[in-house]
Amino acid sequence: MNVTVISPERSVYQGDANALVAPAFDGRVGILPRHAPFITLLGDGLLTVREGSETRHIRVRGGFLRVLNDAVDVVAEHAESVEDSDAA
Amino acid sequence: MAKTRELRRRIKSVENTRQITKTMEMVATSRLKRAQDRVVATRPYAAALTDLIASLYDPALEESFPLLRQLKGEPTRVALVLITSNRGLCGGFNANLIKETRQRIENWEAKGVEVELHCVGRKGAGHFKYLGRALAQERQDIGDRPTVAHATDLVEPLMARFEAGELDTVEVVFAKFNNPLSTPPTILPLLPVRPPADRRIGGSADRRRESAAAEPPTRRTVPNYILRPSAEEIVRRMLPGYVRNGMYRALVETAASEHGARRTAMKNATDNAGEMIDVLRRNFNRARQAQITQEIAEIVGGAEALKG
Repeated sequence: MNVTVISPERSVYQGDANALVAPAFDGRVGILPRHAPFITLLGDGLLTVREGSETRHIRVRGGFLRVLNDAVDVVAEHAESVEDSDAA
Repeated sequence: MAKTRELRRRIKSVENTRQITKTMEMVATSRLKRAQDRVVATRPYAAALTDLIASLYDPALEESFPLLRQLKGEPTRVALVLITSNRGLCGGFNANLIKETRQRIENWEAKGVEVELHCVGRKGAGHFKYLGRALAQERQDIGDRPTVAHATDLVEPLMARFEAGELDTVEVVFAKFNNPLSTPPTILPLLPVRPPADRRIGGSADRRRESAAAEPPTRRTVPNYILRPSAEEIVRRMLPGYVRNGMYRALVETAASEHGARRTAMKNATDNAGEMIDVLRRNFNRARQAQITQEIAEIVGGAEALKG
């Protein structure tokens, strides 16, 4: 599935993924490929995108997440890649 | 003699001016590039947000959300937000924005509507202060790299007052960035929020335009989303963001437009200076030649006189 992470200022991430865990307003939600159409509000926290063995973390706050046709749009009010996710 | 010296001085001075305008042109070009990238970067977010609101919009929501409360009849109190640049030397850029605003104010006031003016950027504020108009708000700190925080700052108080019923309409006058050469002053109705039209499928949008110019937008057939929380709650949380984003984009586009306008203005100035130098140099050479010819004539005349 395709994942796009955007903030008002720019696109933060775009790529394929096997799995994604997002901080929704009421707890974490996991999205796997072929998820049903879904919209939820985002809370504050770390978004995890897994592709193969690679894992990427993006700090997000506010906004929403939408799944449609095997594409996930994470539209956050703030989004910022976390570089040293393992060290943190 | 005096004439050649005068001309040489003018050539020198025009050359200096050309140097300055050329530098400004290059600076504007590089800033334009960055500002343009920022404009492009705002599009995916705006599109996604518009799409979301369009998917979830339902005319019934107007009842529960003040931000969606459409106006019935004429407004009584309107806030205009004028966005201009802090710096000049960008051709008619600010003048055009100010003209648009003045017309808008006159239009509203002719209908007996109370207008309060908020100015972003020194040029607009300066003009209206000179005219002796009271400004409801004045911001000169935003500059040419606006952030979401700036937009939030501007919009929050307006939204609060709109919700409280103190304002009926909020409009933004800004320079739309079509491309670096086309930056027309544009009025963006910020509040009340107009439900976004269906834009996802070109065909249906076109068909819609024919049939439904007057008909209010109806809920579209959308994929059967699982919504968490309810559509109403999502709209409640995302609407302010939608308004903020409108303001943010207006700021970003105006900043890019300013650099585009400045580049054009400075390019023209540089070209004109070049032409002026050509003419001056021609005149200078002519004067120099005339002087030499005259000196030769005098020498020849003197020699002739000695011979005789």
